[in-house]
Amino acid sequence: MTRIPERLKVSPFFAFYLVQAIQIGVGILGFQRLLTKAAGNDAWISILFAGIGVHVIIWMTYKILDKQEGDITDVHKILFGKWIGAALSLLLIMYLSLLSITILRTYIEVVQVWIFPGIRISLFSASILIIVFYVVNGGLRTVTGMAVLGVILPAYLLFSLFYPLKYSFFENLLPIFDHSILEILQSTKQVTLSILGFETLLFYYPFLKEARKSQKWAHLGSASTIFVYLAVMVVSTAYFSEEQLMRNIWATLTMLKIVELPFVERVEYVAISSWLFVILPNICLAIWAASRGLKRILNKKQRPMVVLLLIFVCVVSCTLRTREQVDMLNNYTAQIGFFLIYGYIPFLFLFSTVYYRIKGRKST
Amino acid sequence: MIRRGSNKSKENPQASSIREALETLKKSTDFVFYKKERGNVPYVISYFSSIVNAEIIHKDILPYIQEMQQVKDLKEKVPIEEIIDVTQPKDLLEKLPLGYVYIYFPESAHLGVLIPAKKDEKRSIAPPEVEFSVVGPKESFIESLDTNIYLVRKRLPIENLRVEKITIGDLSNTEMALLYIEDIADKENVNTLKQRLDDIDFDAIGDSAYISQIIADNQRSPFPQILDTERPDRTATALAEGKLAILVDRSPHALIGPTTFIESISTFEDYLLNWYAASFIRIVRMASIAFSILITPIYVATLTYHYELIPKDLLATLITSRRVIPLPPILEALFLELTIELLREAGARLPTKVGQTIGIVGGIVIGTASVEAGLTSNVLLIMVALAALASFTTPTYQFGNTIRILRFPFLLFAHAWGMVGIVLAFSVLAAHMLQLTSLGRPYLEPFYPTRVRDLKDTFIRMPFSKLSRRPVHNQPDDKVRFKPKDKRIHRDIDE
Repeated sequence: MTRIPERLKVSPFFAFYLVQAIQIGVGILGFQRLLTKAAGNDAWISILFAGIGVHVIIWMTYKILDKQEGDITDVHKILFGKWIGAALSLLLIMYLSLLSITILRTYIEVVQVWIFPGIRISLFSASILIIVFYVVNGGLRTVTGMAVLGVILPAYLLFSLFYPLKYSFFENLLPIFDHSILEILQSTKQVTLSILGFETLLFYYPFLKEARKSQKWAHLGSASTIFVYLAVMVVSTAYFSEEQLMRNIWATLTMLKIVELPFVERVEYVAISSWLFVILPNICLAIWAASRGLKRILNKKQRPMVVLLLIFVCVVSCTLRTREQVDMLNNYTAQIGFFLIYGYIPFLFLFSTVYYRIKGRKST
Repeated sequence: MIRRGSNKSKENPQASSIREALETLKKSTDFVFYKKERGNVPYVISYFSSIVNAEIIHKDILPYIQEMQQVKDLKEKVPIEEIIDVTQPKDLLEKLPLGYVYIYFPESAHLGVLIPAKKDEKRSIAPPEVEFSVVGPKESFIESLDTNIYLVRKRLPIENLRVEKITIGDLSNTEMALLYIEDIADKENVNTLKQRLDDIDFDAIGDSAYISQIIADNQRSPFPQILDTERPDRTATALAEGKLAILVDRSPHALIGPTTFIESISTFEDYLLNWYAASFIRIVRMASIAFSILITPIYVATLTYHYELIPKDLLATLITSRRVIPLPPILEALFLELTIELLREAGARLPTKVGQTIGIVGGIVIGTASVEAGLTSNVLLIMVALAALASFTTPTYQFGNTIRILRFPFLLFAHAWGMVGIVLAFSVLAAHMLQLTSLGRPYLEPFYPTRVRDLKDTFIRMPFSKLSRRPVHNQPDDKVRFKPKDKRIHRDIDE
């Protein structure tokens, strides 16, 4: 385990921002459709279920990492040996690159659909990725700073939730538990894409000062994410009819159309623009984590790894042209992410618990 | 005399090289070389007449020399301290240009002495001009190091105020003083700053602004990372907060570090006014900085791409004013912004008396005429003028210049990608500022890294009773300014 110098670490308190910033991303702009398809007006319950699930997974993640006081590459190395461990870490890194491609490309998709139909995808993604490089180049402390900005600056958009209330019909939520548990669980699975990203904790854990103390902040961050999703889901269920929600790809953005201000008409334009603040830390954190992982398993310098990853992300995001491809990308990422957080992390948790129990018995 | 001197030089080789040194110095016409051959003891006196105070020579040196019997009497009789015995010619070459007088007795084996008699021409202490405040002290630093140190020391008459002098610059021989309060200022900060000052390798230091740029953490940044001030009161209070100050000889500005973004946009007057007023003005100032950077880019973005953003009543006004304009918004905006920059620059370069016409030419002729000619819309004219006005509210001059140039990249991004472009440019700015440090301490503190205790003096300047601790940002050794009184006692009505 390499010791991280104190001056590069961040306070445990920032785990709140790091977890929340990466969880809220492009997903929130239009997560309602798939949830409603599965669970109708009970979709908000599935968000609560997902919240419980995430908290359990975060708890497991901390239990895995606390034993090592290192990052996931150390855990893999100790549990599975050098080669299998490195391969597993590499898979995780590929997943993180996929995640950043998904975030970037979906955001560009939103910009294309809502503001600039003819935007040059290559140029635009390259500009965003150059900023990402600049941020990641500053190390985790700068990435954390971006995460703080990404949480605080767009927070004003929460106020826009008050405008649709005037036209809302809360009876839409009734009857509660109209759907079977199975349907709600299916809907819970659809929440996954929206809450992905906190797995980066596996990489930045050793960069937190008194990492154990950061656990409560991570839980709080994730709880606030769930709260935001819940609020948006409840308001949109009340605002739209079920039919409308099932057909609307960007329900949150559509809801913003109702906001009326004396000096701005179409608030969703402002919202989409400032949403860049939200997705920037997402990509930065994912790329940082991926490059950090590459550095650890390949023993290379991190900067060239960042450049490599960014070029890869840029190329892939440019090759995805159509709406269907972006949708497919989202589905794949959601599937893999679902497997990762509900399959792999519990497995790792059990494996490491058993491993340490056996090891402990041997030593005594 | 000369022969005797040359005889002596055979015994002492240093004497002849001193003669050579004097010959070199004689090449300057303001160098005086005077031989007095009669009297008790014959002597030679030489100095640079331009840098030596003649009064000192006539009152404090010459009368005593005439009365002298022996060379060794000199040090006892002449009422000036710091008399240096010359041991090698290098002393002469070094000290004479600094305002020393060289006295040499041809009849003795002694190589002579150097007596300081520096002319000290300086202006008197004047009210601050750049950082003027209506209330508060009306003193500002001047171009003399000793006076500046005096101005600070009289505000902090304590033994713990340390003044450490360093001389830098092969040509300018600039003397600098590093000021800090022992037991309050962080030792690490002091060492960092000393190390940076020692590392300076520059021949002629023109002003303290040179130093502030040379020792900046990131020289590629447009932001000033060391605060400069001309107010001794601000310097003294900064020292009391655990900061460090550098005073540079021949410069009327002190440098203060470590500094933060908030400090760059606050004035000393913020502490002189009632805290409500001070906080209000501070918030207005911050808003005006954001306004001055963002307003023209937003105009360009909306009028190039997002007409939908404008409410329909406002749209009518905008369209009427832009109907006859042949230029795209970006050119229109660049034209007006550059005009304002031109006016500002011309006003700064011209002598005051001629400068007055600039206001008339710029404000009335160019502004009104370009609207009438249909080159720009009057809505944009108002915006640009307001933005210029807003940018003048930045209290530190160096920071104001940074704000001035920041809006141009924003304009270009706004032209390229509308609102998204503005956010993109803002992200670059944010990412840059997050990485900035001042003497190794984060520049955006207390926002990031978030330090709740330091937030008391940011948007709102809390009353002094709440500012019981020194800012964490300076990592002061002594954290407590005063013990806050027990606030628990709440008296009831009429008690």
